[in-house]
Amino acid sequence: MTDILRILIAPLVWLAAFSSIYGLHGIICAHDVAGGTFGGAQPRAILVGAYGFAILMQVALIIVLYSQRLTSRSGFVRFVSRATGWVGLVATVWSLLPVVVTTYCL
Amino acid sequence: MKALERHRKLTAIWASESGFRGWFSTVNHNDLGRMFLVTAFFFFLVGGLLAMLIRAQLATPHSAFAGPEIYNQIFTMHGTIMMFLFAIPTFEGLAIYLLPKILGTRDLAFPRLTAYGYWCYAFGGSMLLVAMVFGIAPDGGWFMYPPLSGPIYSPGINTDFWLIGITFVEISAIAAAVEITVSILKYRAPGMSLDKMPIFAWYALITALMILTGFPPLILGSVLLEVERAFGFPFFQVELGGDSLLWQHLFWLFGHPEVYIIFLPAAGVISTVLPVMCRTTLLGYGWIVAAALALAFLSFGLWVHHMFTTGIPHMGLAFFSAASTLVAVPTGVQIFAWIGTMWKGQPELRLPMLHIMGFFCTFVIGGLTGVMVAVVPFDWQAHDTAFITAHLHYVLFGGFVFPIFAGLYYWLPHFTGQRRFFRLGELAFGLVFVGFHVTFLAMHWVGLLGQRRRIPTYAPEDGWTAINLISSVGSFVLAIGIAMILIDVILHALTANRGLRNPWGAGTLEWAMITPAPAYNFASLPHVTSREPLADDPDLAVRLARGEGYLGTPRQDWRETLTVDVATGRPDMHVIYPANTRLPIIMSAITGVFFLSLLLKFYWTVPIAVVGVALLAWKWVWMLGRTDDLPPLPVGKGVVLETAAMSNRSPGWWGSVFLLTANATFFGSLLFGFAFLWTVAPGWPPPTWFVTSPLELGLGILGAVIGPIAMRRAINSNRRGGGALPGLFVALCGVLAVALACVAIMLRTPSPTEHAYGATLFVLGGYGLFHAALGALMVIFLWARVRRGFVSQTRQAELPIVGLWVSYLSAIGTLVLLAAHLPTLLS
Repeated sequence: MTDILRILIAPLVWLAAFSSIYGLHGIICAHDVAGGTFGGAQPRAILVGAYGFAILMQVALIIVLYSQRLTSRSGFVRFVSRATGWVGLVATVWSLLPVVVTTYCL
Repeated sequence: MKALERHRKLTAIWASESGFRGWFSTVNHNDLGRMFLVTAFFFFLVGGLLAMLIRAQLATPHSAFAGPEIYNQIFTMHGTIMMFLFAIPTFEGLAIYLLPKILGTRDLAFPRLTAYGYWCYAFGGSMLLVAMVFGIAPDGGWFMYPPLSGPIYSPGINTDFWLIGITFVEISAIAAAVEITVSILKYRAPGMSLDKMPIFAWYALITALMILTGFPPLILGSVLLEVERAFGFPFFQVELGGDSLLWQHLFWLFGHPEVYIIFLPAAGVISTVLPVMCRTTLLGYGWIVAAALALAFLSFGLWVHHMFTTGIPHMGLAFFSAASTLVAVPTGVQIFAWIGTMWKGQPELRLPMLHIMGFFCTFVIGGLTGVMVAVVPFDWQAHDTAFITAHLHYVLFGGFVFPIFAGLYYWLPHFTGQRRFFRLGELAFGLVFVGFHVTFLAMHWVGLLGQRRRIPTYAPEDGWTAINLISSVGSFVLAIGIAMILIDVILHALTANRGLRNPWGAGTLEWAMITPAPAYNFASLPHVTSREPLADDPDLAVRLARGEGYLGTPRQDWRETLTVDVATGRPDMHVIYPANTRLPIIMSAITGVFFLSLLLKFYWTVPIAVVGVALLAWKWVWMLGRTDDLPPLPVGKGVVLETAAMSNRSPGWWGSVFLLTANATFFGSLLFGFAFLWTVAPGWPPPTWFVTSPLELGLGILGAVIGPIAMRRAINSNRRGGGALPGLFVALCGVLAVALACVAIMLRTPSPTEHAYGATLFVLGGYGLFHAALGALMVIFLWARVRRGFVSQTRQAELPIVGLWVSYLSAIGTLVLLAAHLPTLLS
């Protein structure tokens, strides 16, 4: 079961991050969150912060999946879990990129 | 023991009853797989006939072939049948028939559940067909958007048939998914570690997990819409705090993964058949597994791309547009792996390969138009036009029907033990390929010219007449091609032309047996050391028939198999299956009474059906197990295994884990719906809030805490040789406390017909109460089992299963209570 978890964990975290940030955007819009933080708009700062946190989580997972102590003993599981680890990271960076480049609540 | 004697003994143990009576009592995966496939192809023919009616209607402008009311029913039933009654059950049937064979075992994990699933599918599908015959079939489109499908705009019974019939059928999908998941993880030949699993098993595993997490949102949506229609709870009525967009979210949370649930098994067929047709092995096995997993996950992040025109903010659109384009990458990895496999091997253009070529051409075009509609501005132009209809047919026909035809012709010798005599199949393929492309290329074109999907007619001055006529002619060519395939298959089955055991020279285990397959599959179970055991050892079938594998000596009248460790494939448990029984068909009939009672609003029969199902479920489980201890049993090759009853991770525990996964997705979707309405729906805040009660909250939380702790103590006490009964009694008290707290929510919630807030709280309380009732029934059952001696210090398997359900109740009970009490408590 641990090997199955190693294979599934990164895409699962992407799915959770993707849904959470989509939901966060909805909450920000529904509650008309406004104001400024760090010289920029507060909603943008919240969303970018969440985006950055999601990327950091994925990077941490990649590191775990490559660490000798925590990786699987099966070569096949090692390969697939690292591949899905990269899928999680790339999917997080790409699918949540709109947080940085598009307008919110419009 | 000689091979023939072994065959006779095993056949006597495993075979179903002779004659048609056997259909109703069989629990054998060979029979049920075939029954699933035949029923699914019957529905395919019905759905195809409806497609012909659609094309007949659209062939000419101002057609009077069918009026709008009937036309609405025709296209709704076409989509519904093809998606729910053909595509998914075909996967289930193929997996049920094939998996034990390619995994090197004798049956699936829960044979009676397979039978129950089949009968739910047959009865639920029949319900929809009966509605069609009487002219009261669903007519709101296969995605049933409210408010059109709500009580105000669709007051008749048509929509109820869809909501209740489809929910009934989906019991079958969930049952099959649990079955398939546990079978692939645990019921494999010894030595078959994860990296040695046949590629089809990987695809089936991923698909089954997707069904477990993809179908519950639709089941929830159907339940909520039916409750709205039957009792006036306004989940989707904007003026009362509901939101019709909630349905779209729930539907497409299911609907988009559904496309991949349909495609991935077909990709499994391609990955299995293509290397055999190319006389080589699959290129990039690990890459393909990773790509299929990636595709499965990404497919859950695309649902809003079906809702681009609903006014969602730009950032939301961009999230889903980006995720939609990303899906092309793992799909491309698989396509290139298959092209590489062809490059590596020596392709032979035999009939299955023709269909694979048809798949490549069609699916790649469908994928490219998919990338087009993932781009928001293009989708705004093409949305709800015939272009989208054409795109989805390229994806689904190309990505499912062509591969399934390839699989059909590839495994036909296995089903029948015969070889093809007539050569209709090649001509049929040509007609299907040409007919399909003429029909749907034209449909792309007319869509871009502005023809809306689902319109019953159009005017000559629209300029679509010639294109629609071409499309209709193409569809009839396609229909003739499919009819010829049917005739070819029937002729194949009827002509006694004995074929070779392994006609394609394949390396996977399903060909290491006599064909048609005996009820027990393998006379003895193989020990696997590679992905293609039969290629490594061409005499394997003979050696297994001689009993040189595991479990080669039939013992008493037991239907025996063994399970393995998930990752390594090391044998870990000995399993004895239940024998033939009519319990599954009876239980599905009683389940059908429950759904029919709801449909026809005979509410007094609902509790009778519920009690009937509970009693049958009790009997179902009571028949298992024994009151004496079996010693560890020798299973061959010097291996001795404990029976599953002695394990705290028995097959029932694994099944519960995955059933609860689906259940948790259902509950998560309900919480999402609550949060969505609260955040997005107009008409909030509600006129009155739920009045919190610290006493009720405290009682419920206390019950939720002590229930799992008491179960844990019961398990530990039993393991040490003490009594489990005191722990079970405390656990029952905990469960009843949660039940009382949930009842209080249902009774005291603001009127559920006046605002969606009260309605949602009522459903949340009902969900908690249902699980508390289930938990109480399980604990009482376990109490009776302990008293009757079915549970002992060594036979401990049943305790952790109930412990799992009580823990789940504890988690969801706490969340239900917090959802109801916390907002007002904090304010």
